[in-house]
This record gives sequence, structure tokens and C-alpha cells, in this order.
Amino acid sequence: MDNSLSTAAKPVARPGLWVGLFCANFAIVAVLFTNETLNPPTSGILFVLNFVLLIPFVKGVMRMQEEKGAMTTAVRRYNRRFLTFSLIYAVAMLGAGWGTGLVAQDSPLMWLLAVLPMVPAFGMIWTIMRYVAEETDEYQRHRAITAAMTGLALVLVCGTGWGFLETFNLVPHVWAWWVFPVWAIGLGIGMIWTEITTRSGGDEP
Amino acid sequence: MKNRLRVLRAEREWSQQVLADKLEVSRQSVNAIETGKYDPSLPLAFRIADIFGLTIEEIFLRDDA
Repeated sequence: MDNSLSTAAKPVARPGLWVGLFCANFAIVAVLFTNETLNPPTSGILFVLNFVLLIPFVKGVMRMQEEKGAMTTAVRRYNRRFLTFSLIYAVAMLGAGWGTGLVAQDSPLMWLLAVLPMVPAFGMIWTIMRYVAEETDEYQRHRAITAAMTGLALVLVCGTGWGFLETFNLVPHVWAWWVFPVWAIGLGIGMIWTEITTRSGGDEP
Repeated sequence: MKNRLRVLRAEREWSQQVLADKLEVSRQSVNAIETGKYDPSLPLAFRIADIFGLTIEEIFLRDDA
């Protein structure tokens, strides 16, 4: 069977553009948020845009994984679950944000609004745990865990460092949920680093 | 750790994908093992040995060998 001909006919996956746009949009949201200048409707538009960009981002990465021969059943399942929880999270965040203007501050309903985005966020964490449990390809699992440890290192460095700066009133307070996006950034850095350090010229069909 | 995977594969005219399918791992994993970027666990090393009908020592070699 000649796989090279069928592979050559397919367009080469270039998720870099979507990854770049996603990161740029995320950076804008982070900067506006920390400057306390992120207000509706800009916040809603940027937030929705991030999750719209996530779709071609994930699809592009999946195509690239297929081309590199790195795709496994567990990776496919992980991508699908993560995208699903991300979209639920986007809807929950927008719903909760809209709801806070309608609910009294000390109302029990405020608890419900706070829990709403928490559930899909926990779903994303569950997805990561399931991937590690379900991945039967030990090399792919090794790469994923290495990247996850890089994410953990970034969270610990940023969290501990910022905490001390905050203790001495040198920087503003940062909400604790930032641990997850910071971890995700670290995961991305770890994945890129692993890719660079394990790249070899021995690829064959 | 050095190994003779590429030679053994070539002798059987197997592509990396064919070996990956036999081992039920990704092609990237076969490539990483073959190029010495990743040392397989003992269970995977035994599976590789079984597929080639050899012992682990006949496939994987010490760095100083």
C-alpha cells in the first residue's frame, strides 16, 4: 500500500495561525482584565471569540498529530472531550456573567451562578485525568506527563512568586482561578519544548 | 540506549507504521524508540522482542556496546 501518495495529496496542517490568534486574543483579555478595563460588550465578544478560535485551533492540532503519526484513540477522545467542556464553559461563563446583574449579592442563586462555570472547568481537569488513565501508548503518555509537569512548574513559580509580592503589597491581588489558564500555558510551553527536544530526522511513513 | 530496530524492520520490509500497528502504538513512538529518543518500558521491550522473534538483548544494546 502506498501511503506516501495519499499523504502528499492532503493539505499540510498549519495550526500556527489559529494558535497564534487564540493566544493573542487570550493575551488581550488577560491585559484588559488585569487593568480592570474589560467591560461589556467587549468582554463578551472577546470571550466568545476565544472559544470560536478554539475550534480551528483543536482541529488544526489534530490534523498535525495525524500527519506526525502521533494520533491515538485516547488523544482523539481527549480532544473531543476538552473541546466539548470548553464550549460548555464558554456558555456557562456568559450565562453566569449575565446572571450576576439580575441576582442580589447575598442571594443563594449567586452560589448557583458561581458553580455554573466551575462544573465544566472541573470537566476539563477530569478530561486530563482520563487521558492519562486511558492512553495505552506509553511514549505519548510520557510526553503528556512531561508537558503537564512543565505546566505545574509554571503554576508553582508564578503562584509562589506572586504570593510573596502580594504579601508585601507590591502587586495587585489575583483571583485563584488563574491557576488553570497559567497551567494550560505551561502545558503548551512543555509540549512545544518536548517537540523541539525530541525532533529527529528518522520520520518514515 | 542503542537498538537494532531500523535494521530489523528493514530486513522484514516493514514501515514504521506497520511496526506501530503490530505494537498498537503510534508511529511517532516507534520513531522515538528507533532513534534512541525514548527507551521503552520492559513490557513494551518484550512486545517488540516477541514481534521480531528475538530476545530483548538481541534488539537493545548498552550505550557502551
